[in-house]
Amino acid sequence: MSVTSEEARVFADESPDQNLDFTGTDPCQECGEAPAVIHLLRVDEGHVSHARLCEKCAESLAGHVQDSAWVFAVPSSFQRFGARTIEAEDIGETVLNSATPEGCSACGTTLSDLRETGMVGCSECYQVFSDYLRDEIFGETADCAAHLGKSPRHGSEADKMHREVIRLQHMLRELVDCERFEEAASVRDRLTELGETMQSEKS
Amino acid sequence: MTSLGLTASGIGLSRNESGTRFSHSEDPVALEELRRRIESCLVEPDWDESWTVYDLQTMPHVEITRFVERGLMTPEFAETATGSGKGFAVYGEELASIEVCGADHIRLLAYRTGDELPFLYSLLSMLDDRLESAFTYAFDPFWGYLASRPEQAGSGLRVYATLHVPALMLTGKLAPVVVGLVKQGFVTSPLWGGAGGIMQVSNSGRQGEPEHEGIQKIEILSKEVVEKERSVRKMFMRENPLQVRDYIGRAIGLAQHAWNMPFAEAVNLLSAVDVGIKLEVAHVPQLRDETPFDLMRRLQPAQLVTEYDEAKQGGLESPEIDQVRALIMREVFAGAEVLS
Repeated sequence: MSVTSEEARVFADESPDQNLDFTGTDPCQECGEAPAVIHLLRVDEGHVSHARLCEKCAESLAGHVQDSAWVFAVPSSFQRFGARTIEAEDIGETVLNSATPEGCSACGTTLSDLRETGMVGCSECYQVFSDYLRDEIFGETADCAAHLGKSPRHGSEADKMHREVIRLQHMLRELVDCERFEEAASVRDRLTELGETMQSEKS
Repeated sequence: MTSLGLTASGIGLSRNESGTRFSHSEDPVALEELRRRIESCLVEPDWDESWTVYDLQTMPHVEITRFVERGLMTPEFAETATGSGKGFAVYGEELASIEVCGADHIRLLAYRTGDELPFLYSLLSMLDDRLESAFTYAFDPFWGYLASRPEQAGSGLRVYATLHVPALMLTGKLAPVVVGLVKQGFVTSPLWGGAGGIMQVSNSGRQGEPEHEGIQKIEILSKEVVEKERSVRKMFMRENPLQVRDYIGRAIGLAQHAWNMPFAEAVNLLSAVDVGIKLEVAHVPQLRDETPFDLMRRLQPAQLVTEYDEAKQGGLESPEIDQVRALIMREVFAGAEVLS
């Protein structure tokens, strides 16, 4: 008996479709036009069926479920990493920028490895494949995607300052969006101060 | 904060050590060394509660499964529990656990019944801070805590809300709800194969936002789903009170008289009775101190094999497990009734 049988888990840890070859580039199975962005799973008496749908068709289909079958959904972004990789291959090696053909010198991970497994081998890989990863994971939203959560308490002063800059930049964007310009100006001043401090510490 | 109606809460927090390659690309000797260092840190005396460190190489299959059932070990980790560098320890009286050298070097886990997400995060964050005093985490100001899967870099936080939604399921209203959740970037999965109308909502992808915001987001969404479920239940009760009482009464009758009960059937019956209790049409005196969901967890196969001698014959495949489960159900439901 496998320990991952349905009876033996309280963490439905990963979606049931995690091993499916769903790239997110397929067209919707219902309309055949828009790209499929939602993977709908129907669990009926233990039998699982799948449908890859665009948002509109998923909503429409979900609105017409009449019986007691379970219907679950997984965003295609779950698999987006792989999908965008295929696109990247199609358009050539433009994403390589900072990655050398040999890959990461610290762990030996190559871009091909990364594309194939979706995994990096070490911390250094984040620098080596930086452009590729930012493009893959954030696309055009990379500028607003910096980490704003918890950070190590024992990090370096430079790291702490860098994080404060990211936090304030995020706050500044939000304040400007809400047209709270006075507060935004004071955040901007604080950012300027921090920038000067960082600059003077560098020199 | 008023009750959100979460049936259970779970949190996972992943970290990696700076300077050590991620588990899948590190050599076994280095992983073993890391495991030893982590275990040494866990047995130091300055933790609020003590850790129990387990040897996965010799841990019986039933025991591993029991930890998965308790929400202290992820199924994915359990599948490869005897791999290089793998370690596992439990904090206090099963308050939390740590998986060592799974997909990431460290994964702290906690799971408990009820609306407990903020509490669980505080607990894991406190354990995380203590570990950080012994290990330098792989962290980048832009990416956050680095992970072997880059789309999971950030807070390293995975939040799980377990919801009991049988009425939404029975009426087919669950599908639009899950599509709505998925559009907001959440993942929905059936728990226990969908038995009892229990589902789990969790966050997916990169978590760059502050942890409390991520937790709050999933709490708000869960509350909305639970409100929809309550509303459908009330509608049932208003429009078909006899049918509702019949449905719950049959569940109680089966629970009182069955001598053999598979897990999924027990979950379905307890789910129905739970609805009855919440609608105040069922009275189960023995379920005063234990929630129906707690009882469901207690009736999982490895729990029974571990706790009841009668179930031990033949391990997890033993037919006695279903008989013990039926016996417990008969005991719990003695004196239970449907209120008119």
